[in-house]
Amino acid sequence: MSAEVVIETRSLTKVYRDFWGRRKVEALKALDLDVRRGEIFGLLGPNGSGKTTTIKLILGLLFPTNGEALVFGRPAGDVEKNARIGYLPEESYLYRFLNAEETLDFYARLFRLPRAVRRQRVYDLIEQVGLQRAKRRQLREYSKGMTRRIGLAQALINDPELLLLDEPTTGLDPIGIREMKDLILHLRDQGKTILMCSHRLDDVQDVCDRIAILHQGELKELGRVDSLLKVRDMTEIRATGLSEEAKEEIRQVIARHGAQLLSCDNPTATLEELFVKIIRESEEHPGRRVRGVA
Amino acid sequence: MVLETFHAVNFAEWIGPAAKVWLIAVVALLVGFALLRWLFAVLRQGPAAGTLSALNFLWAAAADLLLISPRRTLALAGLTIKESMRRRVVIVFAVFLILVAFAGWFLDPGSNQPARLYLSFVLTTTSYLVLLLAVFLSALSLPADIRNHTIHTVVTKPVRPSEIVLGRVLGFAAVGTVLLGLMAAISYVFVLRGLDHKHDFSAAAREQLAVMWRDARRNDSTQGIAVSTDRVQNHRHTVFFDPAQETVDEQGVRRGAIRTDTENGHEHEIQYVVPAEGEVQFVCSPPENHLLARVPIYGKLRFKDRAGKDADKGVNVGDEWTYRSYIQGGSLAAAIWTFENLRDDQFPDGLPVEMTLGVFRTHKGDIEKGVPGSLSVRNPATGDEAHVRTFASREFQTDLQVIPLEFQTGDGRTINLFRDMVADGKLEVWLRCVAPQQYFGAGQADLYLRARDASFALNFVKGFAGIWLQMVMITGFGVLFSTFLSGPIAILATGGALLGGLFSDFLYQLSQHKVFGGGPIEAMIRLVTQQNVVTELPPTAQTTVAKMLDKAAEQWMWLIWHMLPDFRVLSFSDHVAYGFDISWGLLAMAVCQTLAYVGPAFVLGYVFLKSRELAQ
Repeated sequence: MSAEVVIETRSLTKVYRDFWGRRKVEALKALDLDVRRGEIFGLLGPNGSGKTTTIKLILGLLFPTNGEALVFGRPAGDVEKNARIGYLPEESYLYRFLNAEETLDFYARLFRLPRAVRRQRVYDLIEQVGLQRAKRRQLREYSKGMTRRIGLAQALINDPELLLLDEPTTGLDPIGIREMKDLILHLRDQGKTILMCSHRLDDVQDVCDRIAILHQGELKELGRVDSLLKVRDMTEIRATGLSEEAKEEIRQVIARHGAQLLSCDNPTATLEELFVKIIRESEEHPGRRVRGVA
Repeated sequence: MVLETFHAVNFAEWIGPAAKVWLIAVVALLVGFALLRWLFAVLRQGPAAGTLSALNFLWAAAADLLLISPRRTLALAGLTIKESMRRRVVIVFAVFLILVAFAGWFLDPGSNQPARLYLSFVLTTTSYLVLLLAVFLSALSLPADIRNHTIHTVVTKPVRPSEIVLGRVLGFAAVGTVLLGLMAAISYVFVLRGLDHKHDFSAAAREQLAVMWRDARRNDSTQGIAVSTDRVQNHRHTVFFDPAQETVDEQGVRRGAIRTDTENGHEHEIQYVVPAEGEVQFVCSPPENHLLARVPIYGKLRFKDRAGKDADKGVNVGDEWTYRSYIQGGSLAAAIWTFENLRDDQFPDGLPVEMTLGVFRTHKGDIEKGVPGSLSVRNPATGDEAHVRTFASREFQTDLQVIPLEFQTGDGRTINLFRDMVADGKLEVWLRCVAPQQYFGAGQADLYLRARDASFALNFVKGFAGIWLQMVMITGFGVLFSTFLSGPIAILATGGALLGGLFSDFLYQLSQHKVFGGGPIEAMIRLVTQQNVVTELPPTAQTTVAKMLDKAAEQWMWLIWHMLPDFRVLSFSDHVAYGFDISWGLLAMAVCQTLAYVGPAFVLGYVFLKSRELAQ
């Protein structure tokens, strides 16, 4: 395994069964993924596509039916790997009877941080997520946005190398969303690796370096966001200082080659368009990986 | 007092065989579990991958159990304490306070044994409240964490499942400890205050005494008189005033200090000053000797039948409780206790023999008077027997007879107890019933030597330590069940373990077909068809099926009886209430038994949690 690879899944499969062991649903089908150090990797997919299942398998919260997930080269069930991981769950599952300071102090103690480091980090993180005024209030009194913030703070308490963010912008207001995105980019700039899954396509488009699109437990697309979004049968030429003659000359060249000039700017599709197209094609042809988009 | 478990406990002798049985059970459990795990893995993944997976699991389990971080465990314990506070454990404390506050209305300090009543009340109340709390707290916590998904943010930290289980057990134990400590302190004050009272003398008694002291001033040889105190808490004491025992100073002021007789299990000391002129001042002490921690030395009991021949047991007088065996009065029948390892330096003031006898009357006789009995000592080596005294039994009341170090027998012999009767530290005490046609009932623990008294306060604490151990045991079970069952089911399972442990004797009797009315199915048939428990059911196919099912159920009950802890071993309430010292050996035994269950419960809980998909 390359040293650059932080998360590796090989034929990762998860079948949920009922009490009697009968197959209920195959949530994830033979997923092969590599997440490399220092990148922001996005998992995309509609509800029930297997995004959260993938994250839970990587964290060891679920056991794979087949295949394996390795994190930092260690099996997902290994406890030691968690020392280098931060996890923000979908709903910020935190103890509502604790206040912000107690929450962060509790999680810090699970990393066996010395008291002085703990205090400093709790102080810094509360400031970073903007909860100074509410730090003594029990989490039961928090709004959803505030809960997300304290959830993020607990994910960062150990200064992790790898962050797994499940729907990180859910419940945040537009400013909160912008701050969250900036923070994710900032963390990437610090050299951290981030795996996130989201329904918000614009979020993924804004921050992710690479994405994987899942549908009904299958990997439908995988690649760099910029390359996936590129419209390949069109050409965008950008130039400055072209004279009218030069432009006319370019038009003639295009015409001579039998091409049609649409405009000087090549359009860029939105991630949303790509996403919807992939899902529709997948529904028309189940079980087949959608090609020809990238 | 009688408790069948009141046998002498020799911890050093007990621990070896007990540890051996425990080790065998634990190793069998672990090996069985490892084999099951391997079998499942092989079935799911094939022989090679399955074996590898099972070995990996064992390796990880060893690491998880050996590399527990105290800091993380304490952090988790701290969280558990906070969670318990959030769950309002304080309410249990409030309920206790309310019960204690109103207990004064229904606990009668004027009853026969008020100290026993008060102590039983506080110990029982505390134990039920704390055990119920332990069941609910420990069984609900982890399932709630799993249901709310809060466990996700914990297990994705470098936390071992073993630390989660241990943190829970420690946290709940800490909450229970604080709660029990507070309850114990309040209980102690409640008992002392509830029993506290003083006596005074009526005007008539004072007048009688005044006459006595007036005579005493005139004549040194005035005899003492016995007067009764006033009635407080439904009893009065008789006090014998003897002018000969008083001190008289130059001004003619008489001073004395006397003890009352024992009533309702206590006595008082009365100090008084008789001035030459004016009112006599009496100062009555609070009740004394009612809160005891007697340290008994038990002997080994054997019997002689009416013809004077050795017998395993005495006569069965039809009592369902077979603990006591009876000896016939006016015959050669005797109950004989052999005591060992007696030294004269242990008993500088004579040999205190304390007994609580059962009396079975075949005719009413003089009901106001006790049935007469005789007490003798016998040298086991020479067979030389010396009659000590005759006494009137006080049925089911504890009676203390001190055998002097030197005494004269009826035939004029002077006996030196240790020189003439004790051989190699051994001494036999013979009990006979003197009244013909009446019987004395005696069990092993009914007669003992009261070597000394230990501190009652310490014994009280030990009694609460017993409740604490029960609480820890239930917490262990609760946390174990909560690792693989949902909250309500875990409560049922933990409550079942508690009930099974409290009634383990009944469970055993049931499994051995020794209970009238048959097993559960037969009992159900009797219940529905309204048949009594003694008559045989009609020999129908239905009865045969019911009995077969019961047979199978009995095997299960036998198995469960073996697996469940016997909570009576951890309960010292009767020791405290009846005033017997809880020996350190008994306490050590209880601690070992608790650890013997909580340890494996912790390991099993860990295995279940580790094997569980927490996000499913």
